[in-house]
Amino acid sequence: MPVSDTLRVIDFGRVDAVRSQTLWHAIAYGVSAGEPPTLSFVRPAEPYVCIGYHRRLDEVDLDLCRARGLPVLRRMVGGGPVYLDGGQLFFQIALPVTAVSPNRARALRELLAPAVEAFRAIGIPAELDDDLELVVGDQKICGHGAGQIEDAVVVVGNLIETFDHETAAAVLRVPRPEARVELERLMRRYVAATPGDADAFRDAATAAYATALSLEPVDGMLSAYEDERLAELDRQFVDPEWVNGAGRPSPDVWQAKVRAGVWVLAAEHAGTSVVAGVSRGRIEHAVVIDAELNGTTPSVEHALVGRDLDDVAAALVEFGAPGERIATALARADGSRM
Amino acid sequence: MSSDITPTIEVQGYELALDRGYEPETHLWVLVVAPDRVRVGMDPLGVETGGALAQLALVPVGTEVRRGEPLGSVEAEKFVGPLQSPVSGTVVAHNEATVADPGLVHRDPLGEGWLVELEPTDLEADRQLLVEGAEQVVPWFEHKIADYRLKGVLAE
Repeated sequence: MPVSDTLRVIDFGRVDAVRSQTLWHAIAYGVSAGEPPTLSFVRPAEPYVCIGYHRRLDEVDLDLCRARGLPVLRRMVGGGPVYLDGGQLFFQIALPVTAVSPNRARALRELLAPAVEAFRAIGIPAELDDDLELVVGDQKICGHGAGQIEDAVVVVGNLIETFDHETAAAVLRVPRPEARVELERLMRRYVAATPGDADAFRDAATAAYATALSLEPVDGMLSAYEDERLAELDRQFVDPEWVNGAGRPSPDVWQAKVRAGVWVLAAEHAGTSVVAGVSRGRIEHAVVIDAELNGTTPSVEHALVGRDLDDVAAALVEFGAPGERIATALARADGSRM
Repeated sequence: MSSDITPTIEVQGYELALDRGYEPETHLWVLVVAPDRVRVGMDPLGVETGGALAQLALVPVGTEVRRGEPLGSVEAEKFVGPLQSPVSGTVVAHNEATVADPGLVHRDPLGEGWLVELEPTDLEADRQLLVEGAEQVVPWFEHKIADYRLKGVLAE
């Protein structure tokens, strides 16, 4: 448990895109340096795209972001590229690393459980599923990420009051237009907004985190040290070198996750292209492009639906050489990290 | 699994190699592979508590690090955490296989799933802070397992 007996609570209100990231990163540095555990809230005043610490910048459609005036930032916590706007209220809990279980999954479960309570307090029947997603039914209702920053752990999430599925799909770079269509379809199916009273959510989250951590909530503000770090982070987060991140190899097969266990792939082999939406290892929908198939393309696509991604070859045998090419393309996909 | 010729010991179901030292808090191991070169990897408890690695990033070859400074970072369950160097030195090699497929760390943590190699600057001093040899490794690991089970970090 934390050394401090107070939970500092800071609601930053509506701030610009960069500040909506740098404020809570500054808090993490502050908590690492001895400030009390802190729960903060922030709402972006402008839409933008944010990419996880380890992810490749080319996962984002930079041309589209530029055309739509969307800043692209990189955060220090995990997860993929996401679209954020003023319809989302973000919360961040920052704690000393010594107060958090070294078991990452357990730490996340413990630090997301109060958020589940907060959702329920405003009438949203949220649950934390086995994949550590906050869900209602099978729909994800909260995007989260976590990280250790110096000697603090921070877990972030959001109350999604409105969600722009079209833009959320549009900001991701895709190899083929069919992939974007499938991405948006799966987002609409598996990611849901949960309109609720944001003030009530903030109050409920404060109470739930205070109870879970056995701390007394106290309204607070940034320390002088955190203000210094904030100024540095404001510069760092717009530095192209930081935004670009470390160079990482591109995978053979384009894959984009919608929620845990639900993803889209676009694979090619010998001139054949396949775009597939995958849920729990099974193909939900497929689009095949192969010149040799001509009029049988719908039959092939139908044959793929409902199949385990790891077991499509048998279903494709009747389609001859094109079927073999499709099976080879799909075999290169890797669902293990999805 | 690690090489057949590597001396190993099983501690409560976890296999540990006895040809290397273990950093007792960060769960990284250090193996001397040449007079001026050590290899670093993750021990089985680090692997189990860290979760299924989805991402691994390492500081560039040529980077000088001091013990405790970041060698890189890992990501599991959307949780980014640092890899703190167990020794001071210069990074001289990455294991590109684990960078491309971080799951290798889980499949073979003591062998093919190694992370980096360093040219150490003060290995003798750093080794004083590592746990080495069966007489140290076994009680340390048993204590860690008991402590983690008590705190719910590991399943019973």
